[in-house]
Amino acid sequence: MQPSLSQSQSLSQSQSQSQSQELTQGSFAFDVAGGRDDARAAAHTLLSRAVPAESGVWDELRDAAGALRPPWLRFARGLPLPPAGAEIATELERRVGQVAQRIRLDGVTHNVFSPDPRPDPRHGAAATDTTTRPWSLELLPLLIEPGDWAAIEAGVVQRAQLLQQMLADLYGQGPHSQRLLHEGLLPPALLMRHPGWLRPMIGAQPPGGPAGLRLFIVAFDLARGPDGRWWLVAQRTQGPSGLGYVLHNRLVISRQFPDAFRDLRVQHIASSYRRLLDTLEQAAQAVSLDSGDGHTPRVVLLTPGPYSETYFEHAYLARYLGLPLVEGGDLTVREDRLFLKTVEGLEPVHGVLRRLDDDWCDPLELRADSALGVPGLLHAARAGNVVMANALGSAFLESPAIQGFMPAIARRLTGQELLLPSLPTWWCGESAAWADVRGQLHDKVVRSTFPAAGRTSQLRESGAAAVEDDPDAWTAQGRLRLSRAPIWGGQVVSPRPALVRVYAIADSSQAAGGKGWHVLPGGMTRVAQREESSVSMQRGGSSLDTWVLTDGPVDTFSMLPQRLQVDDIAQRRRPVASRTGENLFWLGRYTERTEQLVRLARATLLMIDADNDAPPAVLQALSALAVKTGLAPHGVPTLVQSAQRFERALLAGLPRADNSADNKADNKADRTGDGSDGTASIAFNLALLERASTSLRERLSSEQWGLIRSMREGFTAAIHSAPGELPTRANALPALDRLALQLAAVTGAQTDRMTRDHGWRLLTVGRLIERLIGLATQLRAFLDAQALASVAGIELLLELFDSLITFRARYQRHEDLLALADLLVLDAANPRAFAGVLRRLRTEIGKLPGTPQTRDTLLQLLPAAGSGITLESLRGADDAALVRVLRELSGTLAASAAALADRVGERFFTLAQGADQSV
Amino acid sequence: MTAAVLLDVVHETRYEYSAPVSLAHHLAHLRPLSDAHQQLQAFDLDIEPPPSHSRDGSDALGNAERHFSLAAPHPMLRVRASSRVQLQPRFADLQPASSPPWETLAARLRYVARAPFVPELEFALPSPYVPRLAALRRFALVSFTPGRPLAAAAIDLMQRVHSEFAYKSRSTQVGTPLAEILEHKRGVCQDFSHVMAGAMRMLGLPVRYVSGYLLTMAPASGAAMKGADASHAWVQVWCPGTRGVPADGWLDLDPTNRLVPASGHVRLAVGRDFGDVTPLRGVIRGGGGRHTLHVRVSTQVVKPALMESRTP
Repeated sequence: MQPSLSQSQSLSQSQSQSQSQELTQGSFAFDVAGGRDDARAAAHTLLSRAVPAESGVWDELRDAAGALRPPWLRFARGLPLPPAGAEIATELERRVGQVAQRIRLDGVTHNVFSPDPRPDPRHGAAATDTTTRPWSLELLPLLIEPGDWAAIEAGVVQRAQLLQQMLADLYGQGPHSQRLLHEGLLPPALLMRHPGWLRPMIGAQPPGGPAGLRLFIVAFDLARGPDGRWWLVAQRTQGPSGLGYVLHNRLVISRQFPDAFRDLRVQHIASSYRRLLDTLEQAAQAVSLDSGDGHTPRVVLLTPGPYSETYFEHAYLARYLGLPLVEGGDLTVREDRLFLKTVEGLEPVHGVLRRLDDDWCDPLELRADSALGVPGLLHAARAGNVVMANALGSAFLESPAIQGFMPAIARRLTGQELLLPSLPTWWCGESAAWADVRGQLHDKVVRSTFPAAGRTSQLRESGAAAVEDDPDAWTAQGRLRLSRAPIWGGQVVSPRPALVRVYAIADSSQAAGGKGWHVLPGGMTRVAQREESSVSMQRGGSSLDTWVLTDGPVDTFSMLPQRLQVDDIAQRRRPVASRTGENLFWLGRYTERTEQLVRLARATLLMIDADNDAPPAVLQALSALAVKTGLAPHGVPTLVQSAQRFERALLAGLPRADNSADNKADNKADRTGDGSDGTASIAFNLALLERASTSLRERLSSEQWGLIRSMREGFTAAIHSAPGELPTRANALPALDRLALQLAAVTGAQTDRMTRDHGWRLLTVGRLIERLIGLATQLRAFLDAQALASVAGIELLLELFDSLITFRARYQRHEDLLALADLLVLDAANPRAFAGVLRRLRTEIGKLPGTPQTRDTLLQLLPAAGSGITLESLRGADDAALVRVLRELSGTLAASAAALADRVGERFFTLAQGADQSV
Repeated sequence: MTAAVLLDVVHETRYEYSAPVSLAHHLAHLRPLSDAHQQLQAFDLDIEPPPSHSRDGSDALGNAERHFSLAAPHPMLRVRASSRVQLQPRFADLQPASSPPWETLAARLRYVARAPFVPELEFALPSPYVPRLAALRRFALVSFTPGRPLAAAAIDLMQRVHSEFAYKSRSTQVGTPLAEILEHKRGVCQDFSHVMAGAMRMLGLPVRYVSGYLLTMAPASGAAMKGADASHAWVQVWCPGTRGVPADGWLDLDPTNRLVPASGHVRLAVGRDFGDVTPLRGVIRGGGGRHTLHVRVSTQVVKPALMESRTP
């Protein structure tokens, strides 16, 4: 048999070709004589503090003679001037701190997985398997010169075109499809063993007919070799990550070096996002017109959820692009069409920008154990009823083995040679290729051809036996010594191995010159933490902003929306997904609940502290209330029996944060807070609050989100005197005071700084329901314990209702029950009186989505007007009668509010509830 | 020679949920194939409660499939497929010794650049339920001795699966890994089919998984058949160039009953493994977490024939 040399030919091909691709990269000295002294100083600092890169690699900073490369000289000239007398190194160090602070304030994070690479968030355990880390960003950007970029751009466009054609060929229908297989250009075993080859998608045309797009974004990982040439190391075709981080990196770093940014003529990247959106909307429009939904399509961003590695950027990107951020559970397929579950019912979805991998997308036809997908999605996509960006079934293109066949495929499909070489690649399933490479594995990397559990692995030494056992499963690739990018830190500039991810974005507009693709002028540069360790953010790497310099004009487009039509405006009102609505509702409830708990905890601790002779009835009321609200455990001796033991139990419960908070059932649990041992009160509620807000990141301002997070962290830190020790009253009181202030700020942000859409309304209804339940419970507890017979009792209740000041102003020192009833029950102007809460509740319920009947059903649960009783009805009542009326009223209102919460849930959130299961 | 057989098959699946299911999507492979040896004369798929949406199609391998969904709450689901199928006898003139040596076919399927595409290669590759295992190769090599004609070796392998593995209904579940089946040497028809497929694929030989039905009694012998009370599974081995095998080269072998199916086997669908051709599957929302599943298959001969199957 004639041994085949197809891949080895491709190897020699890419080598000879790259040699012809000489870059005009010289090592000439740049004249700095004309520059200012400080520029010279800056250049000097960069140079003098630069740790030299080892020989045999390309140094991005310095040329072979040791001089700064031209763009770095220009960069140094644009460096900010340090204050007189200070060193520029000090100034750079200060800026490193600023970058870190910006990242902390904006909450830029990524999640790092422990052993299980793909925890399924819905199946628990995930929280302990992922760690959230602050995003790592270096101060210095990577500079790419116009000449280099032109070569990268052309190579990447060609590659993206090719991949688009390959998918069209392999998934196409008709006599001329699958040419790549029929002509032996792609080994069937490589394709058909790959889990990303989705048989159900064969013959399925994307919306838009034969010209319809399967790929919208393709990411290419590039590296510069020792000779200065750029190589393709890997490609990502499912849902490439990084576009959100790229944006944020740019935002942060361009502000650190505004002069250099302008002087170097760095290309702006905003218009690339606009083009992505335009392409998506154009493709989705075909679907929305087809299905009679008008000319403004709805496109969503599909995320695996808060536990996914890059959730931050899903939320960030969704906000930037103006797309609703949805999880699989927010979507549903009905009659082969995709819908978003909103609090207003099902709304059609025409396009999905997805960050969810193929095999998780549809439990019906793909992984049956996926709780992240949408049952029936594959069928909807196959029917052409939704644009998937990227199309389902594109994952096999990520196999390293593909690279071995690209040169021949390029020649066959386009008649051209590849402009951008990939690493020399041998798919071991071809015996001739394996024979070529098996004796030379020392300078190769052997990777798995197919991903296992979503990841690719790499063979260590003695790989040959494993390869022989199953050659198809392994691919050998040449090693490339990556170029070294300069990193500032610890007063020195160190060289680190760098990988640049660039993004090709489908673009059918004229601006793309008919090539169909646009390359975002920038990208995500990642550096390894140490020499020779692999470049990965999962393994402790770091990222760099990537500056692409231009000789031409800079495109200063900003993401300002184009002029909108009336229809666009209507469509662009963000729909409120049922799950989002539910989270907002609980955000409102938890915020209010925590505020009440804080007030009650403070009052209780102060009461113990005061060492006064509070009447036993008041202590009894407080004890009962603390147990009922979960501040103190059931069965603890009351304040009357043993103030000390009561206090200890209460203090012990404050910092306890039970982790079962992610269980939705807990949302509806009784207000006991629960804790296996004793009780978990405030920290527990703060954790629930944080949990609800985590799923709302794309809706909450980063200030509010940061505030919520720091509230929990701050409280836990402040209340612990020493690890493992019980908090003391002396620690607890100031911690509670501080928390009360922060909660007021959160409430303020919720009240004042959120758009009043249906989502906000549900949050407010949640807060008011919780307030009504809380106030009614408090009044009832005081009445039950006959604690309002004393001045101390009345004052304490007024304090819990936050109404003491008004009371004093209005009734001076008449601590009598009728006055109390007037202010806490009847006064519609008091935001904490029953009547006041009910008035606002009725108003907001009246504005909820749905039919008038729906709203009436909800309103009927509440008194029609006021608080349900009138001042007139109390005329002549003695205290005993008054107590009877108030007890009955508070009991009724607490029950009505709880019923109302249930009905709101049934009406607006049921679409979001329940989990899918395979049968 | 033998005459055609006319069969009626009723395949009923019933799910009973502990709480109503609010939304369900299902995918069914319940419509028998139609070709030169098997003609589908009548077919009806009755679904109770009636689905809110349903659509017929065919998968990439040419099997008929039906997607249907139910958007109204339902405490149970009953799916009844009724088929009338006429079967022509097959493999009567099979001459296993006329097969080419197995190594020849395996070598033909190995990739070399610009080699012609052989679609059957897909079935020589591991699949989700049939992974590669060294034990499978060892098991296969006992039957696949050097130079042995492919069909003869495959029949020998089938006989060894039958004699070395114990048939134990309900001993395994859909998710039981193949390695475990191999270790404990027991399972049901689906497992035996996976073992055969896995063993031959380790040698680079194509084997398809067949989902279908089996006559309850072999009319000729009256012997009870295994796997007839539910849907059945067996394999097809690709042995082109073997006398007595149809032009497409696929030879049916039933390791559960140790026979070459002649006209007592109704083919529903073919795939790489069970997962490609599951008769009925679904994803439900609601349902209360527990459900019971009843499957009943009855096969009746409408027009009896002289002889059914022969044991090699």
